Amino acid sequence: MILAGVLLLFALILPALPLGSWQPFALDTAQFAFLLSGLALSWDLLARTGQLSLAHGAFFGLGAYTAALAAPALGTLPALLAGGVVAAAGSFLLGLATLRLHGMYFAIATLAFSEVMRTFVLKAGFTGGSIGMIVAPPFDGRFPLGGYYLAVTVLGLCVLTSYLVSRSRLSYAMAAIRQGEAVARVLGVPVVRVKLVAFLLSSALAGLAGGVYGMKTLFLSPYDAFSLGRAVEALVIPIFGGLYTTTGPLVGGLLLVGLETWLRLRIGEGYLVVYGVLLILAILFLPRGLVGWFSRRRGGRHA
Amino acid sequence: MLKLNRLTKRFGGLVAVNEVSFEVRQGEIFAVIGPNGAGKSTLLNLISGLFAPDLGTLELLGKDLTQSPPEVRAWHGLGRAFQIVQPFAEMSVRENLLVGALFGKPGTPMSKAKAVVEEVLELTGLAPKADTPAHELTLLEDKRLELARALCTQPRLLLLDEVMAGLRPAEAMEAVELIKKIRASGVTVLFIEHLMPVVRALADRVVVMDYGQVIAEGTYAEVAANPRVREAYLGRSA
Repeated sequence: MILAGVLLLFALILPALPLGSWQPFALDTAQFAFLLSGLALSWDLLARTGQLSLAHGAFFGLGAYTAALAAPALGTLPALLAGGVVAAAGSFLLGLATLRLHGMYFAIATLAFSEVMRTFVLKAGFTGGSIGMIVAPPFDGRFPLGGYYLAVTVLGLCVLTSYLVSRSRLSYAMAAIRQGEAVARVLGVPVVRVKLVAFLLSSALAGLAGGVYGMKTLFLSPYDAFSLGRAVEALVIPIFGGLYTTTGPLVGGLLLVGLETWLRLRIGEGYLVVYGVLLILAILFLPRGLVGWFSRRRGGRHA
Repeated sequence: MLKLNRLTKRFGGLVAVNEVSFEVRQGEIFAVIGPNGAGKSTLLNLISGLFAPDLGTLELLGKDLTQSPPEVRAWHGLGRAFQIVQPFAEMSVRENLLVGALFGKPGTPMSKAKAVVEEVLELTGLAPKADTPAHELTLLEDKRLELARALCTQPRLLLLDEVMAGLRPAEAMEAVELIKKIRASGVTVLFIEHLMPVVRALADRVVVMDYGQVIAEGTYAEVAANPRVREAYLGRSA
């Protein structure tokens, strides 16, 4: 948690650092990294109950489209909140349908949900369909750093929620459900309620992150906002960083986006191949993620 | 305490539990015995709410809980230890117990739950292992954890599903003493068991099941003398 605080502080002062001509690029990359880390943290919240979601790309996209559509009428902040609420509403429907599903079956149901959502946005008139839609910058562009600080705020919210949940009694319920649902129920864990709470929290945060993302890219298309790639990133980051932790998805997201950007600058064409190989190596040799690796090394020194 | 009325469960054409009725009284140790496949484990799953009955009703402490899910039954005072131990493998022993203590009764504050856990750790002899990850326990310790976790929900009625299976005689006798202690603390016990010496040592009353039906009920001596029970265990003479 100290590490998370330091990272957030650094994020706050990053725009003030003398980066010269690199500054716009650095801020843009950082903003994207914050939003993706936030998405990863939200995915991890749901994963703590043992549910592997492939719908987080869709929650992200729902938030992005809702915020973009609502912003002209409501203003930036209420529109972002609306994005979170709509994403949560979508997850509630999905949750009711999938509560009894486990493992692979749950994952496939969430995948189907994302496809349905993407098709809906593709076919609906008010979303611009396959052409996509232009998104207004946050606060009508009055604050150049507005989008950046919104991303920092959303990341802060995700970190805080993740941390508070892991300190609360909810974390015991989540871990119990993940490791043995029938036993958890017999012990009195209100499984349905806990899963729904995890769903709502997780999707609302994903929706918030999506809303800020739309206002950052200034353009949304169903292929981008609802891409399966984003859903995969949302789960690769926590696995790389360390599942069921706050530090894992946070550090994992910042490092992976950083790595990807660096590779793209150094290698250019084909950088994704190297990125993929590095990811595979990480998952093979760090089965418990970066966080697991560090805590084991520290434990070893003490012993 | 617990009242079953014509409880029935079918799996396709097989009637696993067939119109089972009996009553467990407050404060007693009650055994359900019977040959393999008699429907004892299915009956326990019906009582704890993991299966829904096709017919019949179940009352716990005067409340009809026939339609209630397992967690609601737990809140009404039903605890269960499983035959196949299912510890939360990634948690320590203490954390395993804490899940039971926190959620067994809704709204239990953390401080109270922690106090309950420490008490149960002492009672069950698990205190030295409190911080051991559950996946590192031996079978005997796993069995104790299973029992301890159920106790942490502070049940009024405790269901034990063959908790002695796989234990050596000395260990089984230790467990018998533990169950007596649990009853002395005011908990009613319903258990399924294959080891007859354990049944004889513990049970105030016994129900015998065969092919899903209750074929005898009474004290251990009474059911042991019952010709239908002997037939069920030893096979029918030609």
